[in-house]
Amino acid sequence: MTGAADNTPAIELRGLRKVYKKGREQTVAVDGLDLVVHRGEVFGLLGPNGAGKTTTVEICEGLTVPDAGEVRILGRQWRNREDDAIRARIGVCLQETKFHENANVREVLTLFRSCFESGRSVDDALALVSLEDKQHARQKSLSGGQRQRLAVATALLGDPQLLFLDEPTTGLDPQSRRQLWQVVRDYQAGGGTVLLTTHYMDEAQQLCDRVAIVDRGAVIAIGTPAELIRSLAAEHFVIIDSVQSPSDEELLAVPEVVAVERQEQRLVLTVESVHRTLPPLLQLFAARDAAIDGLSTRHATLEDVFVHLTGRQLREGEEA
Amino acid sequence: MRWRVVKQVARTAFVEFWRSPAAVFWTYGFPLMMAVVLGFAFQPGTPPPVPIAIVDVPGASAMYATMQATERLTVELLPAKEADLALARGRVALLIKYDQDGPLLRSDPTRPEAELARLLVERALSDAGEGGIETVRAEVEDRPGSRYIDFLIPGLIGLNLMGAGMWGVGFNLVQMRVQNLLRRLFVTPMRRSEFLAGYLLGRSILVIPEALVIMLFGVLLWDVPFRGSYLAAFLAIVIGGWTFTGIGCLCASRARTIETIGGLMNAVQLPMWILGGTFFANEALEGPVRWVAECLPLTHVNRTLRDVMLESGSLLDVWLPLTALAAGGLVCFGLAMRMFRWQ
Repeated sequence: MTGAADNTPAIELRGLRKVYKKGREQTVAVDGLDLVVHRGEVFGLLGPNGAGKTTTVEICEGLTVPDAGEVRILGRQWRNREDDAIRARIGVCLQETKFHENANVREVLTLFRSCFESGRSVDDALALVSLEDKQHARQKSLSGGQRQRLAVATALLGDPQLLFLDEPTTGLDPQSRRQLWQVVRDYQAGGGTVLLTTHYMDEAQQLCDRVAIVDRGAVIAIGTPAELIRSLAAEHFVIIDSVQSPSDEELLAVPEVVAVERQEQRLVLTVESVHRTLPPLLQLFAARDAAIDGLSTRHATLEDVFVHLTGRQLREGEEA
Repeated sequence: MRWRVVKQVARTAFVEFWRSPAAVFWTYGFPLMMAVVLGFAFQPGTPPPVPIAIVDVPGASAMYATMQATERLTVELLPAKEADLALARGRVALLIKYDQDGPLLRSDPTRPEAELARLLVERALSDAGEGGIETVRAEVEDRPGSRYIDFLIPGLIGLNLMGAGMWGVGFNLVQMRVQNLLRRLFVTPMRRSEFLAGYLLGRSILVIPEALVIMLFGVLLWDVPFRGSYLAAFLAIVIGGWTFTGIGCLCASRARTIETIGGLMNAVQLPMWILGGTFFANEALEGPVRWVAECLPLTHVNRTLRDVMLESGSLLDVWLPLTALAAGGLVCFGLAMRMFRWQ
């Protein structure tokens, strides 16, 4: 994978803005978004539905024209007589695409392959997404996971330097998701760059080298998943179900307890480390003779980062 | 335009159609069924006999004998109650009953066969009674080439070129737009011209066998004559198909929903269904309606096909309408290219 502009970032977005107008109503989808994606990384745009992820990706793909801002894809710009050059170098997997119902997998891939001057063979693409034994199956007989892998295969046919995956695993079962993750990792191992959107934190944590958390059309945090989680005051949570729990003051006096949150009879304590906090905490409950009905601990996730930054749940805005 | 891409798009369009049983039926099966049904409906020949009944009373047997001797009547002798029922249900067109003054004809004059039955019965009675009115000779026009079915078959070919050409392209393009497939193709280095040319090619190829099937069917089953040039007929089909796929493409170039394209296509097709000269000759129309008819591509496709099939037209006779149709298709294609939206 070589190109004239290999030293430039894969994606550069500066001051991106897009407003959708419907009658008198205006929806600001992207509001001054800045982003740089480096070559060779898997970059995740993480955020709730309606945060502007898809609009951002579609602007990068040349499907949507921004109202303001600068876009550079592999060092090139859309609508600058470079469209064909960009399209020949990117692979796109849209959020939802239905291919020809009656065409089989191989025929769909052959059609897409014909658009590219150079690239992978249809057989290679089939092997990349492990659909060899489904090559003669028609669209309607494929499962959701197989359809999605076919969509990714069509995106890989031009041997792209940059791959866009918009919510690639939404609605898939865990096994299909893991299969797709493997396809993405293999592609990255071959030197490719990926921009992916998701509202699954585990997907972002598993797959992405860096993540940007997007909310209301702007990037509110950016970094590796580990960095973002470290940015929280503390990285661990102790969750206790108890009817007569000690008071907040007593709980905050326990070493390394940073915050206390109550959800009815459930206590969620943000703590710096579990092993140093738990013994004195249990002693406190014993001293008060407060029975514990349930106890669990967990490590912070990107979702906690999101909640911390916005005060809202990641899936709150999710449409049915 | 890269031929490789055009070929693949055409191939996919072709396969997509060919593997969809419903589409194949509505394109090939349905017009054939229509040709069969209409052919039977307008089959020249002896009209079917008219059924009548006579109430079975003493003395009715002479009447029965007279009516039975009448060629175009079928007669049954029934008890009074049953005879009334038969008339009421429309199983017989006329009933002969008796009262003090003799025979009485009873029928429902709103039924078309009733008047015919009455005339036939009256004639039979007067023939039998007074020794005869002179027999009226009738002639039936049934020579091949001037029957209604001969007029109809070329029209049906034209109508199907229109239907399959426009719906096939228009509906499918919008469907592909709705399911995001067009956007997906847009983000590849495929060009508009390659995509549209391929799509039109795939679809135009499909209309050729369809038209040939109807033509062959008319010639073999209904004895519709084929008197003109084969080349001219073939070109009429190919160019007609191209024109209508071009129109379909233009209709679909911007429509975003299936409902829009459905309405748009119906709006474009309706005047052609009515005035395009498929079911009746639009040459008889007068004034502005005639001008409209003359502007419809279907009029010229039908006329060309009739010239070639029924009037021994050669390519020299039909080159003008064919050139105009081809040019019209090209204009539609060009406009569709300019207006086309991927998403």
